[in-house]
Amino acid sequence: MKITSTYRTLALGVISAAGLAVSAVAAPQVDKTAVKAGKVITLNGEPIENGVIVIEGGRITAVGPEGDVQIPWDAEVIDQPDMVAFPGFVESHVSRGIDRANETIDVAAFLNVADSIDPVNFYFEEAIRNGILTINVQQGVDTVVAGQGMVVKPFGMTVESMMVKPRAGLTMSAAPKRGKTRATQAQALRGAFEDLKTYLEDMVQRKKDGNNFDRREALYQGREIEGEDAKGRALNSEVWKIDGFELVPRGEVDEKRAPLLAVVEGRMHAFVWCSTPLDVHTALRVAEANGFTKNTTLALGRSCWKAAPKIKEAGVSVILESNLTHVERDPLTGEEKETFVPKVFHDAGIPFALMSSGDANKSLWFQAAQCVANDIPRDAAIAAVTTTPAMILGLEKRVGSIKTGADGQLILMSGDPLSVTSTVQHVIIDGKHVYDRSKDVRVRQLMDGTRPPGTVAEDPADEEWEGDGEGDDGEVSKDDKNG
Amino acid sequence: MILTSFLLSGAAAALAAPTASVPAAGSLAGSLAGPSDGTSWTVHAEKVYTSTGETIENALILVKDGKITAITPGVEATRDSISAKVVTAGMVDASARVNTGLTSVEQSSEVTPSIDAKYGIDPFDVRWARLAKSGVTTTFIAPLNQNVVGGMGVILKTAGAADLEKRMVEGADMICGAIGSQPSQRNSPAFGRPTSFYNRRPTTRMGVEWEWRSALFEAGQAAADGAGKDIDVLQDVLAGKIGTFVQAYTTQDIRTAVFLKEEMMKEGFGTMNLVIDCGAEAWKEPDLLTRTNTAVVLPPFPSQGRTRDSALMPLETAKKLRDAGITFALSAHDGSDTAGRIDVQAGLAMRGGLTREEALRAVTITPAQILGIANRAGTVEVGKDADLVLWNGEPFEITSRPVGVLVGGTLALDPR
Repeated sequence: MKITSTYRTLALGVISAAGLAVSAVAAPQVDKTAVKAGKVITLNGEPIENGVIVIEGGRITAVGPEGDVQIPWDAEVIDQPDMVAFPGFVESHVSRGIDRANETIDVAAFLNVADSIDPVNFYFEEAIRNGILTINVQQGVDTVVAGQGMVVKPFGMTVESMMVKPRAGLTMSAAPKRGKTRATQAQALRGAFEDLKTYLEDMVQRKKDGNNFDRREALYQGREIEGEDAKGRALNSEVWKIDGFELVPRGEVDEKRAPLLAVVEGRMHAFVWCSTPLDVHTALRVAEANGFTKNTTLALGRSCWKAAPKIKEAGVSVILESNLTHVERDPLTGEEKETFVPKVFHDAGIPFALMSSGDANKSLWFQAAQCVANDIPRDAAIAAVTTTPAMILGLEKRVGSIKTGADGQLILMSGDPLSVTSTVQHVIIDGKHVYDRSKDVRVRQLMDGTRPPGTVAEDPADEEWEGDGEGDDGEVSKDDKNG
Repeated sequence: MILTSFLLSGAAAALAAPTASVPAAGSLAGSLAGPSDGTSWTVHAEKVYTSTGETIENALILVKDGKITAITPGVEATRDSISAKVVTAGMVDASARVNTGLTSVEQSSEVTPSIDAKYGIDPFDVRWARLAKSGVTTTFIAPLNQNVVGGMGVILKTAGAADLEKRMVEGADMICGAIGSQPSQRNSPAFGRPTSFYNRRPTTRMGVEWEWRSALFEAGQAAADGAGKDIDVLQDVLAGKIGTFVQAYTTQDIRTAVFLKEEMMKEGFGTMNLVIDCGAEAWKEPDLLTRTNTAVVLPPFPSQGRTRDSALMPLETAKKLRDAGITFALSAHDGSDTAGRIDVQAGLAMRGGLTREEALRAVTITPAQILGIANRAGTVEVGKDADLVLWNGEPFEITSRPVGVLVGGTLALDPR
């Protein structure tokens, strides 16, 4: 329980710091930033021409037209009359910015990506460059039940300083993990919850028998059982019934099992990956059988549009993989049929969020723009990369739109956010001016090929080995190559 | 500028100055609408980007028997017309690669100048429909990219007749080949080490260059007649009668291609007509390319700056070529990447600093000129083939896409 309690302390610290900041408005140490932009697209009402956003102590405290908003005398003013202010894009599910994404063990719910997020990973730099300011980092989908994810902002030298929301959900997969068939995968996923139920029932029985194994195990693991943890509560599930569960002090539940219990009780979100429509049925069945449909979001492969009616019926939200066009070849005629996947979900009225593709030129703006080209209204397309993912992450009050009380973050773009010629010029996170495109040496290289100062040309030996005729497939080991 | 209607009075006069007579649009449209053989239409657009530098507003384009027969500006859509926000010329991909891949690499020799792509093309390949739907109406198909001197390419429409001969477009004859790592990749006998007499193919960049040089020298020094088909073809290549379309991604490979051309000139063999395909790093050698008047076809923009052979192709590549005055065209290859089709390539070129007009030219008239088919394709003008793309917004914005495509008057994508 070490990790968890650390976060609890940290989270408390953040809350109390915020409380202090609010109560001590006049304190000079509160950072104040005012952003003036030619246009402010708030996504919380109509866009504001010549708008002003005031950020104090890391929170937005005022948004409105110039003249209506009082800019504090001691605020740092960023004045960009030719630019468009826009909320940061929200990446709803990604396995980047971390060390290896997938575990070998099937059910790894006790793991936490906080332990593998690398603050200086190139991915976070890319995210800022593309205006993605909120990122739900989750373990990979080659899993049955993966570890707990974390919502971060792409700025900060430590995981703690990047944190937006800790333990932000568990990723599961209804699609087969490597080495599994669909049948064994479904069984493993169902089994994870059946195991949990059996374990909890056994706990109750042990408690009734007067055995203290669980308390001893908890103490052995270093978990202190006091306060709320010392109390027992009935299981908060409409589906599961475990008689006598209130006898079990919550702190005695094994930390390996606790995250899954949190999913069953609706305290933790579930992101369930489905690569084909048939996986959707498995995912929804497991969610329904264990009562967590209401806190489930499906991450979908592109063919899953075929399961849209079923998804609509279940009432869950979805995250769509980055390739938005499903191409299907008719086995008889050989003709291809293309389906633009987000349109199906839009037409069905299912809340959907989009993912970036790995292509530096095709970030979330590109995905939303493709939706507009394919007849999805512009507002809905923009929502799929801002407010909808914010809602899925339970952060709609903090990110995805520019409004009073939200996190003090936004991007300044050179023009319309969905235009192919627009770029992210400035980024403000927590009221700090953290990115200026004109000073970005890496973006210069991607734009005009100028090598960043202080770097040298790549070592030719590091380049991809093209084969020298040794061996049949051109693949030669490093040793062979050098020797 | 005053826009008047362009009337067809014989195909040859198609590019003549605008005539003064402005017929009633309604009557013209009425006469051509209705049942047809499937190659006659009236198309209305709020804006027509013609690729000639002109924009015609509220234009009615008459298409008869696969040709553009009239363009009437400043009129409303008629009941029978197909409507679109914007119409451009059909896009031309000079490096469409529908029939390339390992299966189309001729293994019998590394220098095969007399083979011809048209004998290997499948007009029913599903990629034609992909290209047509993406707004590409004319393509240049090279026989292969893993041989050194590959063979003759072919210019084809992406839709229309199932008959290959009817889909072919008379244009520049071009021989295709490659310089760089790709021709030597995987070159080894089927098993074992390359010690056998039968393992003849180059296994290094040097070997690839040597194959080019030795083939060209052999042709240059051979008798003018009777030296065989391969030599005949290469002699026409040396004389510039047949263009040389060479894949070269990196600076060193582009240099090799240009130096070969200059070497052949010095030897007195003739002036090759060189086009660099996939010239990702062409921007690094502007002087070399302008000096030799070499046109460049760019590969699709890579995702993180680097493309094949680790060639660096920044977003401003097209802009740099424009600034240097180099003739260039954009390409999306076979269009199998649905999020990277040719309109997106043009959009990315705009992100890198081209104007919409320049980007449009780089996917229409410029590749048409490189392929020698500018008399038939590449612009929206009376007398040209009815290759039209109908857009639901401003072309090359990601928020727009081709919603209708006419290929030689055949409706390959129906916007209705």
